[in-house]
Amino acid sequence: MRRRIFLMTGLVFSCIFIYAQQIKMSATAGLDQIYGSTVISENLLPFNEIDVEFGYVLYEAQISVESEDAVLELENVRDFAAVYVDTIVQGSITNDERKITLNTAQGKHLLRIYVENIGRITYGPEILDNSKGLFGRVTVDGEEVVGWKITPLKVRDLQIEDLKFHSKKSNALPGFHKGFFNVSDVKDTYLNMAGWGMGEVWINGQYIGSYWEKEKLQSIQVVADILRKDKNEIVIFELKNNSQNTVGFADEPVFN
Amino acid sequence: MPTHKEKLLKNLPGKKMKFTRRCLKFALTILLLLPLLKATSQTQEIDLSGKWGFQTDVMDFRRGSLSPRYNHKLQDSIILPGITDDFKIGYKNPYKYIDRLTRKYEYMAPAWYQRDIEIPKEWKGKRIFMYFERTHWLSSIFVDTKEVSKVDYISVPHNHDLTAFVTPGTKHRITVGIDNRYQYNTHKWNHAHTEFTQINWNGILGEIKLVAIDPVYVDDLQVYPNIADKSIKVKMQVRNYTKKNITGNASFTVNGKKYNMVKKIPVSVNDSLVTIEEVIQLGRDIKLWDEFNPNVYNITCQLKTSSEKGSYTHEKSATFGMREVKQGKNHVLINNRPVHLRGTVENAVFPKTGYAPVDDAEWERIMLILKKYGMNHLRFHSWCPPKAAFRMADKHGIYFEVEMPMWGKDAEVDEDRYNFFRREMRGILKEYGNHPSFVLYCNGNEITGNFDFIEELTSNARDLDNRHLFSGSTARTRVKSDQYYVSQQTNKGPVKVYEGLPHTKWDRSTESDVDVPVISHESGQRCIYPNFEEIKKYANSPVEARNFEVFRDMLKENGMLDQAPDFFKASGALTVLEYKAVIEALLRSSKSAGFQLLSLNDFPGQGYAPVGLLDPFWDSKGLVTPEKFRESCAPTVALLRYAKSSYFNDETFAGDAEVYNFGPKAIENAKIKWWVTNEAGKTLQNGNLRKRSIGRDDVFPVGNFSFNLKGVTSAQKLTVHLSVNEAIKNSWDIWVYPRNENLMKSTAEVLYTSMYDDKAKQQLAQGKTVVLCPQPENVKGRTSTFHNHFWNPIMFAWKPMTIGALIKNDHPVFDQFITSYHTDWQWWDILNNARVIEMQNAPKDLRPFIQIIDSYDNNEKLGIGFEAKVGQGKLLVLAVDTQKDMANRPATRQLLVSVDNYVKSGKFNPKVAVEEPFIQSFLMK
Repeated sequence: MRRRIFLMTGLVFSCIFIYAQQIKMSATAGLDQIYGSTVISENLLPFNEIDVEFGYVLYEAQISVESEDAVLELENVRDFAAVYVDTIVQGSITNDERKITLNTAQGKHLLRIYVENIGRITYGPEILDNSKGLFGRVTVDGEEVVGWKITPLKVRDLQIEDLKFHSKKSNALPGFHKGFFNVSDVKDTYLNMAGWGMGEVWINGQYIGSYWEKEKLQSIQVVADILRKDKNEIVIFELKNNSQNTVGFADEPVFN
Repeated sequence: MPTHKEKLLKNLPGKKMKFTRRCLKFALTILLLLPLLKATSQTQEIDLSGKWGFQTDVMDFRRGSLSPRYNHKLQDSIILPGITDDFKIGYKNPYKYIDRLTRKYEYMAPAWYQRDIEIPKEWKGKRIFMYFERTHWLSSIFVDTKEVSKVDYISVPHNHDLTAFVTPGTKHRITVGIDNRYQYNTHKWNHAHTEFTQINWNGILGEIKLVAIDPVYVDDLQVYPNIADKSIKVKMQVRNYTKKNITGNASFTVNGKKYNMVKKIPVSVNDSLVTIEEVIQLGRDIKLWDEFNPNVYNITCQLKTSSEKGSYTHEKSATFGMREVKQGKNHVLINNRPVHLRGTVENAVFPKTGYAPVDDAEWERIMLILKKYGMNHLRFHSWCPPKAAFRMADKHGIYFEVEMPMWGKDAEVDEDRYNFFRREMRGILKEYGNHPSFVLYCNGNEITGNFDFIEELTSNARDLDNRHLFSGSTARTRVKSDQYYVSQQTNKGPVKVYEGLPHTKWDRSTESDVDVPVISHESGQRCIYPNFEEIKKYANSPVEARNFEVFRDMLKENGMLDQAPDFFKASGALTVLEYKAVIEALLRSSKSAGFQLLSLNDFPGQGYAPVGLLDPFWDSKGLVTPEKFRESCAPTVALLRYAKSSYFNDETFAGDAEVYNFGPKAIENAKIKWWVTNEAGKTLQNGNLRKRSIGRDDVFPVGNFSFNLKGVTSAQKLTVHLSVNEAIKNSWDIWVYPRNENLMKSTAEVLYTSMYDDKAKQQLAQGKTVVLCPQPENVKGRTSTFHNHFWNPIMFAWKPMTIGALIKNDHPVFDQFITSYHTDWQWWDILNNARVIEMQNAPKDLRPFIQIIDSYDNNEKLGIGFEAKVGQGKLLVLAVDTQKDMANRPATRQLLVSVDNYVKSGKFNPKVAVEEPFIQSFLMK
C-alpha cells in the first residue's frame, strides 16, 4: 500500500509540491467521545432495534478463548465489521466472509466489533430481511457469545472541533487521526486514501467524504472552497486501523 | 431511404410471403425504366409477416427427436409478428400472483415456427439473410432438415446469414426455433425478460423478413459528428464476397429539413472486409441536435461497384444528429453545453401487449408524455429498447440512458455470461450508436461481482464509440472508465432523494460534486394505494391485475371497500407533493447532473409498486395535471428556499428565490415577482425582485424577500407564488397559526387526560366528555410517519407499513384546522409526534377522522384520531404527543384548538359506541 502511494506521488510529479506532500497524522482522539447511549442485551440486537438507521455501532462482549486459532463466526454482518480483541485488530468481515481466526492468547478477553451499515438490500433472497448491523448468533469455537454492550457511534453529524486530541495514540483501537498541511495554491484536488481501511474524512471541520479499501475508487474529491491558504487541518475517522499514518493528494481520481 | 422498389415489395397485399407475380412484373417494369440498374443489383426483401406453422415444445425435445429429419410440417399455426400469449398458448394460469400482474398463459420453452418459402431464382449470387427485428432470447433456423444458424442477442435484431444454406429457385421449409428460456445464468429481474414488467414472451416482433443483397455491401455505417467544423466522419465496413478485387464509388446523400447534399467518393475493395472512413463537410446550413432543436438527418450510402464478373449496388441508411456528448465537471455536456437530466426510469412496463412496442406510434406517445411532464431524459433500467424508441427520442429531443440486461450478481465470474455481455455491448453500440438520443450507456443496474470485468466492458465500450458517455454500473462500485455515475450515494454522502421535508433549505449539491457528473438514482418511489378501477383495463392484455382483486377482496372483508377510491386519492395526493419536493431539491442542486424518478408510471412487479403519477399504461391517474407538474419540472423552474412550512402569526416568512434555467437561452431582463394569496385567492402581499438577466445552464440566486405574518389573525393556509416573466410560475403552500396559548383546558363537562384511568371512566359514566390524548409511547400500534411507504410494502416489508393518511376534512372536528382530505406539510409535526392505533377490532362503522392507510396486502383499519360513544359518555381519542416541544409545533396546537372547540360545542355527538375492552386494547398496561 505504501508503495502505491509513492507511485501515485510519482504520477503527479508535475503538480505543485504541496499537493504531493505526505501529510503526517500527528494526533489521535478516542471513539469514546462519540459514544451514544449504550444498550445492554443478552443477545445481539440489529441497528433497527436500537433506533439506528445508518452509520456505525460498537458491539462489545466478554469472550473466553480456549484454543489457539479460535474461530469467531457471525451469523449476519450488515455490512462491514472490524474485529478487535481487547485492543488488537483481528481483521475485517463482511456478510460474504463471516468467519475470522482470532490471533490471541487463551483466556478471557473483550471482543469489540465495530460495524458499519452501508445501505439497504434492494434485491435478492435477503430482501425481506432488512435488519442491519449484527444479528443472529456470534460464536467463538462454536460457543455462543452472549451479554452484549451495544453502543451507537455518532460519527456522521460530528462537530470536529468538539473532539479532544492527544499527541500520542494510546492503543490501536479505531479512532480519529488528525494532521496538518499547508497549501500555497488553493485549487480542487483529490485526497488519496489508498492504504487506509474504512472511514470518513473532514478538512477544516467540513465533512468531505468516506473511503473503503474494497472500493476501486480510492480518492475523495476536495473542492477548493474548503481549503485555506497556508495551514489546514485534516481529520480521518478510521475504523479498521491499517496502521496507516500518512495521507496525500493527487491531481486525478485514484482507482485501484 | 428505401428505394421505390423496396417500398413496393414491403407493401405486398396481405403481407404474404409469396412473391406475387403481379408485383414482380410491376417491379421489373420499374427496373426497365432505370437502365443503369440491373435486376441483380438491388436489395430485395420478402416480408415474412403473416401466418406461420407452429408447435410448442415444452419438453424441449424437438431438437433431440427424429422429427426434423423428416421435415415434418408443424401442426398448429400462429400469426407473426406476435407472441404466444396472443394465441392463448401455454399454461392457463389459475393463480393470483400477489407480487406482480398475473400472466394469463405462461410459456417458457422452445417454440417452433415454420414456413415454406420459395427463394426467388433472381437471388442467385446474392447474400441472403433472415431478419427478426426483436425476439428473445435464442433464435435458431432449420433449413429443411438441418439447423444452420443460431443468434442469441437480447437487445438488437437477429440477422441470420442463410446464403450458404438456401438455393435460389428452390422452395425450402424454414423452421425457426425461438427459445425464451434464460440462455445464461443472468439475474431474473432484468427488464429485458422479467415476468415483473414486460413478460418473458416467446415470439417474434417488428420486421420479419428475408433479405437478399448484392455480395458487395455496406455491413455497417457509423456516423461521427464533428460540430466544430460541421462535418461528419463516416465509418463503413464493406464486405466483399466476390473473391475479386472490386472498384466503384460510394455516393453519400444527406437529407434533412431544408437540407440536401451529395458526395461521391471512389471505392476499391481488395479484401473480403474493408473499412472505409470519409469525412464529409456538411456546410453552414447543417443544424445541431439537442432537446430543444431535435434536428435529425438521414444519410444514405449508395455503393456501386463492379469487377470483371459483374456490377453490384447496395444502399445503407442511418439516422444521425449533429451532436457531441462530453463529460463536464458536474454535468453531461451536449454540444459543449451542460444539460440537467430530468428523467424517469423506464422498466419495460408494457402490460397492454406484454412486450415493448416496436412501432413508432406508441413510443412517440411516450416521448410526448415525457415532454408534457417537463422531462428530457429516460433511463432504460437493465434493458435496451428497440429502434422505434430511439427514432422517436431523436425526433422529440429526449436523452436516453440504455443498459444491457445486467443486474446484481451478473458480474460474478462466469465466462459464458461474460462473453454474452461482451457481444451484447458491441451489438447495442453498433445497432443504435448513430442515434443522437443515445447519450448515455451503462452496463446494467446495481451490479456486484468482479469489477475488473465491469471496467473491461466500460473501457472497451469507450474505445469503440465516443458518441456516448459510459458508466460501469448504477449505484455500486465506481470504475476508472466511468464518465458519469448514477447513484444513491457518492463517497461524499447521499445523493438520493426519496422524500421531501417541510422546508426547502437543502439540496444535494455538495454530495454530487465528485470527479464525474452524478445523476440521482431512482428518486421518489412513494407508494400510492392501488386504484382498483384499473382492473378492467387488462381485459385484452396478456396479463391481469389479479393481485388487485386479492387486495380489493381483503379491503372488502375488512369493511372498508367504499374507502378504496379515497385511499387512492389521498395517498396519491401525498405522492404528488413528495415528488414536487423531491424534484425541486434536485433542481436546487446545481452540481447534480440530474435525476431519474422512479417513476412517472407505475411498476407492476417486485411486489407491485404503484408509485407513478401515471398507471402502467402511461395513462394519467388524475392526481396532478401535467401543467401543474411542469411548475416543478421543466427546463426553467422558479425555486424558493424557505425555512419551514408552518408559522406562528408573529413570525416572518423569508424566502430565497432561485431560477433553475437549463432552457434554450438566457433570460434577459427577467421580471421576477412574488405574491402571497389566501385560500380565497386574494393577494395579501406582493413585491418585485430586482430586475436582472438570468444566465443559462445553471441555478441562479435571484434575490430574497420576506413578509410579516402578523396580519394573519386566524389559522390560514397561504400560497407563496413566484414568477419569472409571467410564463414561469411556481408556488408553495405555508400555514400560519395564532400562538394558541391556552390548550386542553378541562372543564366540568370536558376532561382532558393522557390516561384512561378511573377519573376518565367516571367522567364517561356521567355522560360527559373525555378527550384522551395518550402519550405515543403508551399506545400500542404502529409508528406514525408523514411519508407514504417506500416503493411497496410487499417487497420492502419495513415498518410501519402505511401509505399516507385519509383526513375526514368535512368533519366538524376540523372546523378550526385547515386541511384537505390528504395530509400536507402542515401535518408534519402532528404525524411525527403521534402513534397509529390499530382499529381493526373496533366496530365496523367506526371511522377515524384521522385515518391511516394500511398497506394494501394487509388492509386493516388504522387511525390516530377518532370519536365514539362509551356508555352515555362521549370520547375523543387523539394519539398525538401533546407535551414534547410544543413551543415549536404550531399545527399541533391549532389542531388541539379545533378539537377543543368541537368537543365543547353542540356538534360533538359521536354516533358509534365502543366498549371498554377496545379502548384498553390499544393502551399499554
